Amino acid sequence: MTPLFAPAKVARMAHSRVTELASVDLAVCDRCGLCLPLCPPEAIHLAFDRLLVDRDTCTGCRKCIAPCPVGALAMVPA
Amino acid sequence: MPDSDVLVVGAGPAGSVAAWEAKRAAPELDVVLLERDHAVGVPVRCAEGVGDAGLREFVDPDGAPWVARRITRIIFVAPDDTETRVADGTVAWILDRTRFDPFLAERARAAGVEVRVATEAAGMERDSDGRWRVRVRGPEGEELWRARVVIGADGVEAMVGRWAGLDTRVPARDMESCAQYVLQHVDFDPDAIYLQFGDRIAPGGYAWLFPKGVGIANVGLGIVALRADGRNAREYLDAWIARRYPGGTSVGSTVGGVIVNPTIKQTYCDGVLLAGDAAHMVNPLSGAGIVNAMKAGRLAGRTAAAALREQDTSAQRLSSYHRAWMELLGEEHRTHYRIKQALDDLDDAFFNGLARTVNGIPEGKRSLGRVFMHALVKHPQLIPVAARCFV
Repeated sequence: MTPLFAPAKVARMAHSRVTELASVDLAVCDRCGLCLPLCPPEAIHLAFDRLLVDRDTCTGCRKCIAPCPVGALAMVPA
Repeated sequence: MPDSDVLVVGAGPAGSVAAWEAKRAAPELDVVLLERDHAVGVPVRCAEGVGDAGLREFVDPDGAPWVARRITRIIFVAPDDTETRVADGTVAWILDRTRFDPFLAERARAAGVEVRVATEAAGMERDSDGRWRVRVRGPEGEELWRARVVIGADGVEAMVGRWAGLDTRVPARDMESCAQYVLQHVDFDPDAIYLQFGDRIAPGGYAWLFPKGVGIANVGLGIVALRADGRNAREYLDAWIARRYPGGTSVGSTVGGVIVNPTIKQTYCDGVLLAGDAAHMVNPLSGAGIVNAMKAGRLAGRTAAAALREQDTSAQRLSSYHRAWMELLGEEHRTHYRIKQALDDLDDAFFNGLARTVNGIPEGKRSLGRVFMHALVKHPQLIPVAARCFV
């Protein structure tokens, strides 16, 4: 069976070739937390009621972009 | 370093019931309930609908101040707007979560649970003696709490599970992206909930209207982004409202995720239990999660209390929670998940036809069995769906 999620090791290896990263517009983000469990390398965090994307862990996979109910996430150059 | 026997993260229905049940089962235990927001119950990220029978297992809704509306009818709306009424008698309630959640948390507090608001768990790790050390940030700054059992009732974020090494991630196809307004000045049957399906209305989910009173309702929808046309959930919702409720004015809005994935493979580990959305315990077909969360909370609280009395909070001891949940609802959710997958393959024309078939049955005679038989005879596409109920 194909694993649903890339293991963290694979994610980190892939990271060296990343050209785009997810970025959040905090003025639009509603802090609902929907994107957290969608992130394969667990790069998105909610702390002090602010959404943070960890640039060192994000692999640019885009899985968080479309599901955001308000379009607060976008890809930006790495 | 403050000590607790049971530390519950998140004061939604799962967490408040878990804390209450643990304290009731073993009053000698120190039970602490943490809520990140400044008050329990806000912001509301919920359509607030709940089935009558399930709710009554925990609380009495008759005349309760946390009820917004009693519901006696369900109106399914086909993609072409054909309406089909199906049920009569009290079938559901629309809650006021800003009062319901505080009611549950207050009940826990009155039983002896320490409730702390504006306090978030920020991380945790195992101590050398097997307890969990939880980093907690509150109004007085950051402190370390020790806990023998941590119950993660922290919703879709499921950070407790993540810190404990459990896999709580969700494949994109099983995430409903939801948006909702509280809409005023709209015309509808205030005793009915409305559910509309359709690939252009809410791909992979449905749109809903849940009355909170006469002329005021939670109006929202959920979509699976993978099936959408590039618009986000709020854009789909704005389009739906412009078409169906053009005179409505919004007096509130919310967004959030509903995980329509069956229960995670493992809901426990040494000294940790996960309950509610954090463990993917929403019904994958209906998206309903409140009663499920309370049922899981009850199991989790009781399991934690019993394990602590036996002085054994190992994964092996706590695995009884997972087994009890799977028997209670987890297995059923797997079946519902398969039905949802099968329904996803059917198109708008099918649902339009189904609505007309059901409307051909006199309203008083629309039992589920009869609807099912008529549907199977007239719509053979349903046979594989029906088959999935039994595999």
